Amino acid sequence: MVPNPQLGFFGRDRGGSRAVNFAFNADQELLRESTRRYLADHHPLSALRPVLEAPEVFDRDAWRLAAGLGWTAMLVPPEHDGGSVTDQPLVDLVVLGEELGRVLHPGPFVPTNVVADAVSRWGSDAQRKAVLPPLARGEQVAAWCLTADGSVEPGSCEVRAERRGDALVLEGVARYVHGATVADLFLVLARMPDGLVHVLVPATADGVGVRLQQCLDLTRRFGVVTLERVEVDAADVLDHDAGAVLERAVEVATVLQAAEAVGAADFLFHATVAYLQDRVQFGRTIASFQAIKHRVADLLLTLEAMRAAAHYAALALNDRFDDRPAAVSTAGSYAGDGFAFLCGESLQLHGGVGFTWEHDVHLFVRRAKTSQALYGDPSWHRERLCALAEVDAAQRDA
Amino acid sequence: MDVTVPEIPARYDGYRAELRRFIVDHKPTLGWKQRSGLRVPEEEADVDALREWVRSLYDAGYRLAQFLLEEVDEHEQRILEQELGATGLPFVLGNPLVAGALKAFGTPEQQARHLPPMARGDHIWTQLFSEPNAGSDLASLQTRAELDGDVYVVHGQKVWSTWAQWADYGYLLARTEPVPGPKGITAFILDMHAAGVDVRPLREMTGTTDFNEVFLDGVRVPVSDVIGARGEGWKVANVSLMTERTNVGGGSTGDIAAALVGVARAHRRRGRPAIDDDSVRQAIGAFSARSRIQRALGYRVATKAAKGAADMWDAPVTKIWFSELNLEVAEFALALQGARGALVEGDPDAVDDGAWQDRFLYARAWTIAGGSNEIMRNLIAERGLGLPKERRGDIS
Repeated sequence: MVPNPQLGFFGRDRGGSRAVNFAFNADQELLRESTRRYLADHHPLSALRPVLEAPEVFDRDAWRLAAGLGWTAMLVPPEHDGGSVTDQPLVDLVVLGEELGRVLHPGPFVPTNVVADAVSRWGSDAQRKAVLPPLARGEQVAAWCLTADGSVEPGSCEVRAERRGDALVLEGVARYVHGATVADLFLVLARMPDGLVHVLVPATADGVGVRLQQCLDLTRRFGVVTLERVEVDAADVLDHDAGAVLERAVEVATVLQAAEAVGAADFLFHATVAYLQDRVQFGRTIASFQAIKHRVADLLLTLEAMRAAAHYAALALNDRFDDRPAAVSTAGSYAGDGFAFLCGESLQLHGGVGFTWEHDVHLFVRRAKTSQALYGDPSWHRERLCALAEVDAAQRDA
Repeated sequence: MDVTVPEIPARYDGYRAELRRFIVDHKPTLGWKQRSGLRVPEEEADVDALREWVRSLYDAGYRLAQFLLEEVDEHEQRILEQELGATGLPFVLGNPLVAGALKAFGTPEQQARHLPPMARGDHIWTQLFSEPNAGSDLASLQTRAELDGDVYVVHGQKVWSTWAQWADYGYLLARTEPVPGPKGITAFILDMHAAGVDVRPLREMTGTTDFNEVFLDGVRVPVSDVIGARGEGWKVANVSLMTERTNVGGGSTGDIAAALVGVARAHRRRGRPAIDDDSVRQAIGAFSARSRIQRALGYRVATKAAKGAADMWDAPVTKIWFSELNLEVAEFALALQGARGALVEGDPDAVDDGAWQDRFLYARAWTIAGGSNEIMRNLIAERGLGLPKERRGDIS
């Protein structure tokens, strides 16, 4: 499918008089409302305060209760206890991601959905039956072991897999694994002599070790997963082209992370504007200074652009538009940097109070800076966009 | 969510084929070199050829919805805009924003008298809003219109009027009431051929002449040429200004990234093709993202408007986004060209006969016109987010 060019003025092709519908529908708005209410009641950011420096911030019981809102069910087919709100599950998930982002929710929303999606699409019957229902119901969580340096480059994959009879033996390490310490199941990218594979590894398998990483982000936990002669069944391998599985997983993760960034940025933006209207210096609110107003305008510009990028990426990925890779990398590059910019500006505009431990703004700064490095950092996405532009240029010349 | 192009049914293939034949038979050849932006022909012969072109389209039944009161077939309209757009020639002459004002506020007589000739290229329009001392602060405009029997007598000076040198009518804002600010302003239809109208073309930094100064010295305008009610010109104008800002925001940045790849391939940096330079690749990737976001912002703004849920900041946000992107792309393209980037149209070694250099210079029209980007930021903060307004000074 091809998106409407929406050129206007010079190009003038607006797709006829039919208005484009680039908005969530009523059911999705209902999902947003109920999720926001639920999170305000059960998972306000203030509830994380006591556990910011604790080894664990994730509450498994709370996660199971919340799963009823569909947090991890959208990409799972109904026969395995999944189900989405609309026929555009990735767009549904953007609504959830934004709401979870607003409260800097610690849960492994991104990796669990990535793993559920991969198994739904490419898992064997047995894998689907075993893995999907507990993930969709929130009874289990999954983590994604990608590389040793946190990048999405296959060359950085440091888990080796060898065949031994019917079994597969895994050896190596993956780092920066969100939810590693609480995951029941890992989706592990591994290198075979003849190429890459994705393997499902239970956290309880012999030889699996997890070390909690001390991380800038205080509202999530990451870990190092080591695999020492971990023996799994050949039936635990995802039987599909590993490059395609990896690309899809990176794209889903990118879109969901961008959605979290939009939600968090939206919350922080409005909190910042409220603060500026409240704070009085020189006998006037600091919001009345034009130097401040123009910075606020730039933050709104950033936020609106992040939102447009994230929503379009979700739509393009869900509906498999021709420009899907570029749309996803647009969100990956812009939302990542935009979120970090907005958080930094917010801190600066708060002045001294923003520098204190008690104020929440540093939690957003920490989240943004961490997210920037995950699932393809902005520079990785920009390089991808440039490579795609080279393809476009070659097609134009041909 | 759905932003896909509606399929044009096969039964319209005949309409398209016929239109293409018509275009081949009637498309004029111009002496004017067309450049990017809202540019205006410099020779009367070209204006005449364009009038003839638009007239032939209209008479053959190829009419644009923006000038029509009746409903049109959406598929035909879309084909029309696609095919006419592909010619690269203007098919709307003058500044058409008054059409929206006439549709919303004009009397049936005004609509009947002005919309069809505007559509047919018989009447070219210009906009008479900005003044030398009323740019960003448009509501402080000083051009006066004083009632004298059944005519208003207009005195004042306007500036930045595109197409005024060729215009038949002007869409005028003037002060009819002795009160400052927006409340005293009325919108008029002004006959550009009337006595007392003096148009002086301005040569801009681009070296071309796209804007004009217009001096109004005792121009008599019948009361029947007021658009909307007396004193309500600000309301009328805001309809057009919002359209203008959205249009600036909707301006196509084209396939920016692919075009920049072309420039980067043709030039070298530190002995290698520039496209192999990582900093160049990062910049092209970033421009690609920003141009894609521009399109997505367009979807968002169009959807909100259609649902009646527009935010006040929608038009300013898209206007700033487009105009700053457009400027930075041109700056980057010049940098990619190295010393060759200093060559302009006419030099045999200039890249694309200086198109990037012209775009670089003209880009400031977009960051300033339609309300400068600084005013847009004030609007976003004050009217959009409710932050305190800047206090007016007392220098008159």
